[in-house]
Amino acid sequence: MENHKELDVLTMQANEANQDKKIQKFGRREILKSAIAGAALFAGGAPAVHAQQKTIRFLNAEPSRDSVKALRVAAAEYERISKVKVIIDTVIPDDAYNKLQASIAAGTPYDIGTLAFAGHVFILADAGKLVPLNKLVSKHKWGPRILFPINGQNYWYPYDYNFCWMYYRKDLYEQKGLKVPTTWEQMAENAKALTGDGKFGVAQPLGNNAAAQWMSLGYMWADGVKLLDDNFSLVVDNPTNKPKVMAYLDFMKKLSPSMPQGMTQALFGTVLSQYSSGQVAHAPYAGRLMEVIEDKAPDLVAKTGFFMYPDSAGKGQAVNHGYDGWVVLNTPMKDESLKFMEWFTENQYINFLHSAPLHFQPPRLDVYDDARWRAHPLVEKHANLVEFMKSFLTRKDVIIRSVDTEGPRVDLRPAKMFETFAITEALQNVVYNGMPSSEAADIMAKKYRTVL
Amino acid sequence: MQGFRTRSDKALKWAFIASLSIILLLILVPVFHAIQLSLFQSESFISNKNWVGLANYIRILNDVVFWRSLWVGLVFGLLTIGLQVFLGIIFALFLDRSFPGLPIIRGIVILPYLLPTVVVALAFQWMLDGTLGLLTIWAEQLGFGRPSWFENSYLAMTVVIISSVWTWTPFVTVSFLAALQTIPKSLYESAKVDGAGLWSQFWHVTIPMILPMLMVIILLRSIWMFNKFDIVWLLTKGGPSSATEHLPILAYRRAFLQYDVGGGAAVATLSFLILSVLILIYFYYFPLEDKESSN
Amino acid sequence: MKIKGGVFLFTLVTIALLGIWSFFPIYWMIVSSIRPERDLFKIPTFWPETIDWQFTSYKNLLELTDYPLQFMNSVVVALAVVFITLIISIIIAYVVTRYRVPGKTFIVGSMLYAYMFPPLMLAIPLLSIFATLGLSDSLIAVILAHCTLTIPLGVWMLWGFFKVMPFDLEEAAMVDGCSRAGAFFRVVLPLSLPGMITVSIFSFLLSWTDYVFAFVLITSDSNKTLPVGLASLIGSFDARWGELMAGATLIAIPLFLMFVFLGRYFIKGLAAGAIKG
Repeated sequence: MENHKELDVLTMQANEANQDKKIQKFGRREILKSAIAGAALFAGGAPAVHAQQKTIRFLNAEPSRDSVKALRVAAAEYERISKVKVIIDTVIPDDAYNKLQASIAAGTPYDIGTLAFAGHVFILADAGKLVPLNKLVSKHKWGPRILFPINGQNYWYPYDYNFCWMYYRKDLYEQKGLKVPTTWEQMAENAKALTGDGKFGVAQPLGNNAAAQWMSLGYMWADGVKLLDDNFSLVVDNPTNKPKVMAYLDFMKKLSPSMPQGMTQALFGTVLSQYSSGQVAHAPYAGRLMEVIEDKAPDLVAKTGFFMYPDSAGKGQAVNHGYDGWVVLNTPMKDESLKFMEWFTENQYINFLHSAPLHFQPPRLDVYDDARWRAHPLVEKHANLVEFMKSFLTRKDVIIRSVDTEGPRVDLRPAKMFETFAITEALQNVVYNGMPSSEAADIMAKKYRTVL
Repeated sequence: MQGFRTRSDKALKWAFIASLSIILLLILVPVFHAIQLSLFQSESFISNKNWVGLANYIRILNDVVFWRSLWVGLVFGLLTIGLQVFLGIIFALFLDRSFPGLPIIRGIVILPYLLPTVVVALAFQWMLDGTLGLLTIWAEQLGFGRPSWFENSYLAMTVVIISSVWTWTPFVTVSFLAALQTIPKSLYESAKVDGAGLWSQFWHVTIPMILPMLMVIILLRSIWMFNKFDIVWLLTKGGPSSATEHLPILAYRRAFLQYDVGGGAAVATLSFLILSVLILIYFYYFPLEDKESSN
Repeated sequence: MKIKGGVFLFTLVTIALLGIWSFFPIYWMIVSSIRPERDLFKIPTFWPETIDWQFTSYKNLLELTDYPLQFMNSVVVALAVVFITLIISIIIAYVVTRYRVPGKTFIVGSMLYAYMFPPLMLAIPLLSIFATLGLSDSLIAVILAHCTLTIPLGVWMLWGFFKVMPFDLEEAAMVDGCSRAGAFFRVVLPLSLPGMITVSIFSFLLSWTDYVFAFVLITSDSNKTLPVGLASLIGSFDARWGELMAGATLIAIPLFLMFVFLGRYFIKGLAAGAIKG
């Protein structure tokens, strides 16, 4: 290799090297230290400031802009009157539990958190990380199956029901002379009648995800299927339930030609998109769908009706259970957190619910009679939908169920069953892989047994 | 090789020790913590832990799900690594020229790598959307019917592999380009003078010179692709029916979703051990301390 | 190195294909973000039929997220990561290749451990460490966490470069009166510049695109980085494909421009490396 040229250059520069030695003294460690210091400046020197002011950290799992706004406004108002700062951190619902437990495990727990699964509340309470909210909860009357007491204590404060029911296109029904289905058979026929010309009858997510387990199981619940008995033993494959489960799986297979492509990938947003763009004639959802079409497809509002999941025989109906709520964590700030929650649930609850007035169905019964809540334009406009939703809380002939709330009380076992997605796998096996429903049901039961 | 003799040597030595300590602390402590989790049984990261010793490992190793995930991981890893290296080398060779517009082309070629995985997943999901995706529609127009990209195991695996190859081949390309640029042109000249054609030049000049770099790249990509979580999770969540569920996804599911932290940590540790074995084999054939390589 | 005739054409075509392969999904992403929303539900055409000059998707996106803030955070973190990574990688790689160090293989090998575990599992104990240091929810924590990803890579790459560089050059320089450091700056640095630039680019990108560490370590909205911001956009119901594509485009385009400009220095660096030939 030709090095001579370099050596000459180096020789010339060697004399300057001595001068450079001084600069070299300001070596790598120095640079490293100043880099870290510089970065510290960038990070805003956050740690030091807290000394003076009390701060509560709130993990929010409602990322829609209106909900975030409602919380931020509430936080600002609270800071004004109490001088306590409330920092809101917003994550998507799927991430809330992991973020919460990561923060606890690392020793930097949030002070207030949001959870959407009773099982998560159970774990946290069981580990002693939560503060009982009995005083707060007992101030009001609540709807059914929404408080999940653990050993007699209430560790969570619900803020909504998200029941899942079925929406449909009234105009298309009129066009084809269809009637609201009361049996599975009718449902399948209606969906079939509305499939064609690039449009589909119904969207039923079938993937191994929470969306499918929220939106596609309602038919099964309507037929009275139980997964667990009061001793947390699996009964889904007993002589009463197994035939119903098989019938349900077969029904879904019958329904599948009326569904658009890609149902194993479909999530909450997918179904919303498909209905609001007119691609499907039926869509399972909660109040959010109405809010979305009010916003993005207003001409569909008048054309949209709703009904509950029918059963196989025309005798019963069901909605799938869903809910969200807050927990207060056992942290040094817990007294302040409790004070904040007391203030918030008295003064800002309705404001928060208004950020999704139809989707956040009030679990607290006093809200329904509260003029402030009723005053929201959407609540007023959709009074019949609201009545429909409220009726679930009082009617004895409506079944409210979900996989994770099976059993006599809140427990980890149904939560584990939820996470196996055994039922959605059974659906996929029957609908896509041509497996006979009996076999699929057996596999499902076997999988559930592994976590019980 | 020498000892630390002069003053500037010693300064360097302390800088070295300090840097190394910080990094090893930040890496090894979490690793040991994660391994230690596998010896307990716990439903979450905050629940009470019960010591179970190796019971989690026994349970996991007896579970057919583990072996299936391992197989999926190997298939995914080998195919993606192979394609990335193969395509990466070819692309680098073609870019190792000068022509007008080179900066733009180089920018375009590296573009996939610049994107956060979530963006790549979004882009592919959009193109493969069941009803509106461009590729879905083209496939239909070309007579393949509406492919169920994510309902069919093979298609799902293909999607995951192609998107991974698309995203990470630029890494190989750019590393190669850098390495190619260090090969002195004189070597090519002398080879040409000796009558070597293009292929022969490639085989006898290029490859030997870049072999160290090539092996490093293969090693790194192997580790990364075997452990690649994001892209698979975002695209298929391990579906359909666990067809694309490899070890990282299994570990994640167990630990963070299925209330089985010990099991998840065990899966992660087993994955780690497998990789360690591969790395040891690598070090055996390509030791760090080879005989003094004077050029 | 110019090539003639048929080979030139072949090269040109291949490069065009390469460009299309790399760019097409991104092209599609950008085009989708500037289509009016209704069009997104129709059968798409290759060229957009109409362009939404209002850029509604972008407007919605900026309303829904703190994009500028997250962008700044991502940039700051990435630049700091590059800086720290270069310094530490150079120190470690150089010492390992030039001095007698016991347990070399172990040292360099164990840095790889960072890649061999699911990041989420490592992030939780990391959060714990940072919390003890008072650094939770700070960008410094994210920077250091990213360094655990970038430094092993940096060390490996630079080790590769330093290793094939014969010691004679530095020896000659030191014989001529340079200190060790002087020899480093005058001889080693210029020759391994392509490697350094490569390490910088990769460190920047590893930091820029990381989701897991930023997600776990940051708890207030004001410290979030872009990938975290985009992910939360996906989970919210306000966004549709248009907004998502707009978000993705906004993340990609600045990087692309940055690289086109930096690419020139990259070439200079590469060319400088080739001088020794």
